[in-house]
Amino acid sequence: MRKRILFLILFSGVGFFLTLFLIFKTAKALISTTSVSVVVSVCGNGIIENGEECDGLNLGGVTCESLGYYSGTLSCNPDCTFDTSGCQTVSPSGGGGGGYVPPSAETKVVLQGKAYPSAKITILKDGEVGAIITADSNANFKTEIKEISPGIWNFSLWAEDKEGRRSITISFSVTILEGKITTISNIFIPPTIELDKTKVVKGEDLKIFGQTAPESQISIHIESPQEIIRETKAKESGDWEDIFNTSPLDEGMHVTRARAKSPEGLESSFSSVLAFYIGEYKPGEICPRADFNNDKRTNLIDFSILLYWWGKYNPCVDVNGDGKVNLPDFSILMYWWTG
Amino acid sequence: MQKSKFKIKFFLLITFFLTFPLLVSAAILYLEPSSGEYHQDDTFIVKMRIDTEGECINTVKANLSFSQNVLKAVEFSTGNSILTLWLQSPEINQNEGKISFVGGVPGGFCGALPGEPGKPNLLGKIIFKVKETTEKKEAILKFLEESQVLLNDGFGTPAKLSFRNANFEILPGKSKIQLKEWKEELEKDNVPPEPFEIKFIKDSMIFGGKWFIVFFTVDKQSGIDHYEVKEGKGDWKIAKSPYLLEDQDLKSIIKVKAVDKAGNERIVEWVPKKEMFSWWTIVIILIIFMIIVVIWKLKKKVMTPKKNKT
Repeated sequence: MRKRILFLILFSGVGFFLTLFLIFKTAKALISTTSVSVVVSVCGNGIIENGEECDGLNLGGVTCESLGYYSGTLSCNPDCTFDTSGCQTVSPSGGGGGGYVPPSAETKVVLQGKAYPSAKITILKDGEVGAIITADSNANFKTEIKEISPGIWNFSLWAEDKEGRRSITISFSVTILEGKITTISNIFIPPTIELDKTKVVKGEDLKIFGQTAPESQISIHIESPQEIIRETKAKESGDWEDIFNTSPLDEGMHVTRARAKSPEGLESSFSSVLAFYIGEYKPGEICPRADFNNDKRTNLIDFSILLYWWGKYNPCVDVNGDGKVNLPDFSILMYWWTG
Repeated sequence: MQKSKFKIKFFLLITFFLTFPLLVSAAILYLEPSSGEYHQDDTFIVKMRIDTEGECINTVKANLSFSQNVLKAVEFSTGNSILTLWLQSPEINQNEGKISFVGGVPGGFCGALPGEPGKPNLLGKIIFKVKETTEKKEAILKFLEESQVLLNDGFGTPAKLSFRNANFEILPGKSKIQLKEWKEELEKDNVPPEPFEIKFIKDSMIFGGKWFIVFFTVDKQSGIDHYEVKEGKGDWKIAKSPYLLEDQDLKSIIKVKAVDKAGNERIVEWVPKKEMFSWWTIVIILIIFMIIVVIWKLKKKVMTPKKNKT
């Protein structure tokens, strides 16, 4: 009996630690790949969600009086903001009053979040450029996409900072409902990143820099056999930099990437991954960013070139250098997609 | 005897608890519904979905097999799929009972966002029709091991992958209310494919540096069925992107038609810019102008009286 109990404890213990290990591993993968702050809210579903003051008849218990008016009937605008036109500031002399305004039948998507001050942001709808907008001086942006069919849409965004550096493309697949306003908020475009050199002598300083939203906290991850995480803070201009002494790193290839946390608490996913070499220099990719025709974009043209070379060898299109244009090269093209 | 039974149960239990976390840590390709009862001539839809388990993925290669003795795969719909670029369009091989495709999501797919009102993890819909049967049979729809999902990490890393297959019961005879799920979906679809653009490209890397066009669009209802291209007064031809143009001088009107599974069409047209003057017209005008100038100068020379030297 005692043996059985011991056996049970032993196996339960192993199972428990294995579960913990795997949860940790999964969580690490989650942190490293997904955008953590983004939320979706649907205006017109009767539920007050992120960024909405009200939704249809649901006013969240708010009245004209609680908003500081004398009396009247509060209602909800089609964009899920309060309509106070039915509220009175003084004692009413006559009848009247507000009524429920049914939400408009317009189907639209609102995308809002943060990028970099005055950044040019490209928005893709199912991989094709849908709009190009500019963030304000505080790095905030907001745009509406109208005339959109209901269904599942993939929205991707990338930004270009003041130095012309491109961010990584981030994507969201969202169900768009007919006659509803779908808001995708808390988008935080990952920081841009650049290195002052890609070949470093061991012990030499490496400058890692880029741009993000003003005064954001930046975590710089140097992926080595042992991961090194460094912290810095972006200036008011959104510029950030870190001088990293490469003494702790072994000779060979290393990669670095960064992520940001805005003063409001929005967390971005990781930036592009940049490689640098310590010691022996290795040549860079022939066609970086899967831009096969070298037009500074990764789009349908590059996809066509990949299709043409599929199963064959082309040193430019075989991005991962495994001797053949195949599935990993297609995946790398999807990763660098700019539309 | 009882002791050995206990041991077996105990080991099964421990094995389950030990392997359970391994199973949940992988991306999962699954089918919806995963079970059901169908009769002869029923047409039903099986949705293929992905659970990324928190990972971001960008490429899906799916190979499935189905019991072709009892089921006929009549259609594959890409309507509302998260995959927008198709490296290999869905193909049905009825004889072998196999379905395959390779598609991608530009920028990646990381699962549903908080607050998402639907299920944005659809890869595609397979439409099956039940064949005639005299006895109760089992129909199996399963993912094959060569299926692959790649992470959106810039390295094309394969994701850990697991599958959830489907088993259906096929009953003899026809049901009182015959299932016509696909027909109903097609009848509802009166929306043409989304607007799109034709891009003209000439690149030394492909087609020997000749002009070709690229195009693609999506259809959020029944999905894209095919594309057709028409050059000038030529006939409509079934085409795929990239499409090598016959008219390399780009003087013809190029039309591309996207047709969805319900037959709705979207036609996009490219009209060549008409040049005010062709190069040879400009050359002729220049020659005439030069001749006029020369004649005028000669005339002037003749007309000018010679000054007498005194």
